[in-house]
Amino acid sequence: MVDLSPLQEKRYHRNIQVPCVGVEGQKKLLRSSALVVGAGGLGSPAAYYLVAAGIGRLGIADGDVVDLSNLQRQILHFTPDLGRPKVESAADKLQALNPDCEIIQHPFAVTAENAAEVVAQYDLVVDATDNFAARFVLNKACLEMRRPFIHAAVLSMSGRVMTILPYEGPCLRCVFREPPALSAKTTFELGVLGTIPGLAACLQATEAIKYLLGQGELLVNRMLIFDALSMHFATAEVIRDPECPDCGVP
Amino acid sequence: MLIELRVYTGLEKYLGISHGEKMPVAIDGATTIRDILLRYNIPAGEVTAALVNGLHKTLDYCLQDGDRVSLFPPVGGG
Repeated sequence: MVDLSPLQEKRYHRNIQVPCVGVEGQKKLLRSSALVVGAGGLGSPAAYYLVAAGIGRLGIADGDVVDLSNLQRQILHFTPDLGRPKVESAADKLQALNPDCEIIQHPFAVTAENAAEVVAQYDLVVDATDNFAARFVLNKACLEMRRPFIHAAVLSMSGRVMTILPYEGPCLRCVFREPPALSAKTTFELGVLGTIPGLAACLQATEAIKYLLGQGELLVNRMLIFDALSMHFATAEVIRDPECPDCGVP
Repeated sequence: MLIELRVYTGLEKYLGISHGEKMPVAIDGATTIRDILLRYNIPAGEVTAALVNGLHKTLDYCLQDGDRVSLFPPVGGG
C-alpha cells in the first residue's frame, strides 16, 4: 500500500491523530469514493467536509444552475457563480480545497432511468436532494446496487438524519411510504435557516466517514431528529419493515 | 391501557410537550392513531409518517397497550 506523502501527512495530521482514523484510516479514505446527490444546502457542506477529509473520489450530481436565493445556505456557490451549473461551481471550490480528491461532475438530475448506473460508481451515496420523489428513486437504486444511503432532510429550524444500510436496517420507505401531500409546506414557504442543512450535512459527512472507516455506531435502526430552536436532539427507533414496498420480503 | 406518544418537528405545539419528549396517553381498547390525532387536534395532513414500536403503521392501526408511537410531519427540504 502506498504511504502518505509528507504533504499528505501534514494535510491530514488532525484526522490521523483521531484514534478511529490513524494513518491506515486516512489511506482508506483516500481509496474511497462517495456520491453527493444535490449541490445545494445539504450537498455543499457534505461535499466540503468529505473532500477536506481526503476522500479519494467524490461525485456530485445536480442539474440546476446557481440562483441568488441559494446563496444564504448553499455555501459551495459564490455570488460570481450566479447562473453557472451548480456542479461546475462546486467542482471549482472542491478541487481548490483538496487536489488529492478526484471530483466527478454529474450535471443532471438523478432519475429512475439513470440512478442505478450513477450510484454503482461510488462506495456510498449522500442524500442531499430536496424532495421525496428524488429520495425514493435513490433509495431504490441504493438498495438495488447495495450502496449505503445517508439520508437527511431539513425544514425551517429542524432536520433529520438516518443511515440506510441496504437489507441490514430500515430503508427510507420503511419509514416514509408516500411523498407528503402536495399541500405540505416546503422550504420555499416555511424557509430554512442556512445553518440547518449545514448541521444535518455535517452529521451526514460524519456518518459517511465512519462507514468508510468501519468505525463507530451508525444511525441504523434509529433516526436522529433535531429541533435547533429548542436545541433538542432526539433519536426515534426505526425497524426494517418486512412489508416495506422497497426492501421488504416479497 | 397506556401508550407512549412522541412527536417531532413542530407537532409538539399540539401537545404542549417538547420535541421527542415521551407523553403517556391512556386509551381504551379500540383506539387508532387517527383517534389520537383527533383527540389532540393534530391535522392528519401534518403527519407524514407514524411509527409504532419502530414500524410504519397507517393511521387506522389499532393501538395496543404499551405501544410506542412516534409521529413525524413532512420535512423534505435539502
